[in-house]
Amino acid sequence: MVAQPTKSAWNQALLGWVLLVVGFGILFWFIASWWNQTEPASGPQKLLIGAGFLLAALGIAWVANQFVNTPNPVIGFTPAALTLLVVVVTAEALLRAYQVPPGLIPTPSRVLSTFFAVRDVLLQDAFQTVVLEALVGYLIGCGLGVFTALLVSRYVFLERGLLPYATVFSSIPIVALAPVLVKMVGIDWQSKAVIVAITVFFPVVVNTFRGLSEVSPLSLDLMRSYAAGEVQQYRWLRLPNALPFIFNALKLGTTLAMIGAIVGEFFGANGQGLGFRIQIEAGRFGFDIVWSAIIVASLIGIAWYNLVAWLERRLTGWHVSFR
Amino acid sequence: MMQSNTPNTHLPSSSLEVRPIVSVRQVSMIFQTGTVALKNANLEIAQGEFISLIGPSGCGKTTLLRLLADLIKPTSGTIQIGGKNPEEARKSRAYGYVFQAPTLMEWRTVLSNVMLPLEVMNFPASERKARAEKMLTLVGLEKFARHYPWQLSGGMQQRVSIARALAFDPQLLFMDEPFGALDEITRENLNLELLRLWRETGKTIIFVTHSIPEAVFLSTRIVVMTPRPGKIETVIPVDLPQPRTFETRELPEFFQIATEVREALRRGHGYEVTE
Amino acid sequence: MTRISPHLGPMLVVALITLALYWPLMYLANIPAAQRALDTGAALPCKTAFECATQLRSPVLPSPQQLWNGFRNLMFPLNSQSAIPLNALVTALETIVGLLLAALVGFFFAIGMVASRAFERSLLPWIVASQTVPIIAIAPMLVVVLGQYGVQGWLPKAIIAAYIAFFPIAIGVAKGLKSPDPLSLDLMKTYNASNWQTYLKLRFPASIPYLFTAFKVAMTAALIGAIVAEISTISFQGIGKMLAENSRASDVVAMWVIMLSSAVLGILLVALVNWLERLLTPWQRVRTAATPLPKQARVSERGGAG
Ligand SMILES: Nc1ncnc2c1ncn2[C@@H]1O[C@H](COP(=O)(O)OP(=O)(O)O)[C@@H](O)[C@H]1O
Ligand SMILES: [Mg+2]
Repeated sequence: MVAQPTKSAWNQALLGWVLLVVGFGILFWFIASWWNQTEPASGPQKLLIGAGFLLAALGIAWVANQFVNTPNPVIGFTPAALTLLVVVVTAEALLRAYQVPPGLIPTPSRVLSTFFAVRDVLLQDAFQTVVLEALVGYLIGCGLGVFTALLVSRYVFLERGLLPYATVFSSIPIVALAPVLVKMVGIDWQSKAVIVAITVFFPVVVNTFRGLSEVSPLSLDLMRSYAAGEVQQYRWLRLPNALPFIFNALKLGTTLAMIGAIVGEFFGANGQGLGFRIQIEAGRFGFDIVWSAIIVASLIGIAWYNLVAWLERRLTGWHVSFR
Repeated sequence: MMQSNTPNTHLPSSSLEVRPIVSVRQVSMIFQTGTVALKNANLEIAQGEFISLIGPSGCGKTTLLRLLADLIKPTSGTIQIGGKNPEEARKSRAYGYVFQAPTLMEWRTVLSNVMLPLEVMNFPASERKARAEKMLTLVGLEKFARHYPWQLSGGMQQRVSIARALAFDPQLLFMDEPFGALDEITRENLNLELLRLWRETGKTIIFVTHSIPEAVFLSTRIVVMTPRPGKIETVIPVDLPQPRTFETRELPEFFQIATEVREALRRGHGYEVTE
Repeated sequence: MTRISPHLGPMLVVALITLALYWPLMYLANIPAAQRALDTGAALPCKTAFECATQLRSPVLPSPQQLWNGFRNLMFPLNSQSAIPLNALVTALETIVGLLLAALVGFFFAIGMVASRAFERSLLPWIVASQTVPIIAIAPMLVVVLGQYGVQGWLPKAIIAAYIAFFPIAIGVAKGLKSPDPLSLDLMKTYNASNWQTYLKLRFPASIPYLFTAFKVAMTAALIGAIVAEISTISFQGIGKMLAENSRASDVVAMWVIMLSSAVLGILLVALVNWLERLLTPWQRVRTAATPLPKQARVSERGGAG
């Protein structure tokens, strides 16, 4: 049921915006007044931060009701954006109020300024981690995965003999695989690409196989009635049917690839890479750089995922999940 | 214990004026999409009747039933169930509802599915099992109490859902195409069983169908509905002798009434016929 | 499932072929390294590169003999602080505690998302986005920070495992809570069921299969989280500690043994979830075999009419 915007709902939203503004006002006022302080704040001041957070959170809850049925994705994103803002600003205020040493937990503002200061280094790291390691490994792993799935779906013997292993192998923790592979292949980017390829390979095989084999028997009969050959059957029935499954694995693979590359670098890198940066800076309490590296990795991860999701929409727009 | 085992042996037509258990006055339902699902519907149903709602898809049968059950609210008009408004009636648990699909909970055994309403309604624990078992006997499934729904055929699942609707002994039973998805043979058997239940328990049943023979066979009266906008075209009484048996379908009156229903449906352009 | 699986034969053949290929591969990979070792004049108990290939300190691929010895060294005594069984147990416990913790928090988030569209609109984008982010990167930092506030021992590892397992569980449970079809919800409404009763009798039970599906994904993720957490701090126990130690000592054979053992650990943990699932959701249809109706059922379907 679509809720009709009633008068009281509008009043609630208005009150929500007021609460939001007051809450943010309190938080920003505190941050501004404590910008150069070195003392921890007093008890009442800490309570005030709590109150500011609660007011803003309550405000979001009421404002969000107005966006519940918004079809426009950008406008519909408003509550989420506000939530992030509240969390970040409250974190900043609390860290300043308790005077947490920046070596332990850096304030968001400090992370931002560090981010801009070290962005060149981080970009180099990102190139190594994402393009050389994650992307190369991803392409190899996905390509081999789809090829293997084609073979496995064609030959029953391979299905019975190989597929159970693929399922089992996907429950192996990559962290245990990483040190062995780094020792075997070396500390340069190739070893991480191999780790990534292996981690994305198994889910791609399992998913693609499911898509290729779970075609309706009636469609198979139809193809048979057209006297379609093996290749035609794959071209016109099995592969299109498998596309949504393949894309699910490809989307999952983007995350696995980033994790694989970063974890791989924990066990040996040639002095570059986001994982290497995170590891080394965490060890010497340079958490502002760690956070910056995480932000870079996150932005790339989200962008990559959405790129694949966009491709999926282009290619499999017919599928039920998009209706 | 069942409180209302007054058998439905006959139905004095005067009982209509005496005590309508369901009364629908000038009820309209317009959805937010603009669909006029029901327009100015009027209907009075007496205690103990077996009413069928018949009409092509989209003529508002389900909508009327959902209005009676307080699952949606009418745009205008008044509905009374046993002298109460639908919401009060729902809150006093006046009716049982059998949906088109069995809607059994797959994690519950057959027996505990029948016990579900009793649990929700806080019946004493000792009473629940006895009642549920009795209802399963009533629908002939006592041997399947420990099975899970997926182990039963579609017809058996629908019988479980009928037992579940009867478990808390409501006076009224709403059934929305309960046998729509079943094959003809199973459906005829279940029709006979349903009539037996109705005779033995004295319930009032409102039954949605789009099968003309089914409606004629089961009902004391047939409400013919037509689409665009959904409205009640006419109400046709069915004076076939009770109890009804397989032979009832062979009676000349049976065909007469079926023809009458068919013509009423045509009058409302229910079926696009070119003559 | 009492009869022998048709998979067994082909699986054995594949395993045998893999083993048969391993030997030549191992020689191929190790002989250059062995030759180099001989050329540098290292003190090796062997004469030819071919002989030395199975006895290198840091082989590219360890020989089966080396692996076997490694297993014997690292498995026993069972209760030794430096043997695999005890450390694997610690890691497994951290993972399981983390998973339960994640389930607890995940349930609250899921209920919030199902109960309030506003809550969902405000948080879901971040929960989804966080799945596309290498969460693991936060682990090393989180361990250090938690340690500063006195959270030490196995607890920070469990917390990190929980942190990583949280997202799939919250999403899975929310899906499960939303899974009842509209008719079932209508049914509860006709009973005049309270909100709480609808959760208790309908939504929670409906979400259990989804919870287990999420657990299977989350279990591997949580195990990785626990191991990374062990690696990133001073740990005294756990698979991660052993990995870190042997990685520093460059004991390649030991690393292989630990890798294989943690693979087994991962498989066992997922098997545990599968076993619990079968135990706790007896209503779930066995999908492998088409289950025929019980014999009685078919008979009385016909004889039902009275
Ligand atoms: N929730 C709803 N929102 C909008 N339109 C609806 C809704 N429910 C039913 N309708 C429309 O109302 C009309 C009557 O529907 P219904 O009562 O389900 O018909 P039927 O007689 O087949 O049971 C149909 O045109 C249907 O599309
Ligand atoms: Mg209907």
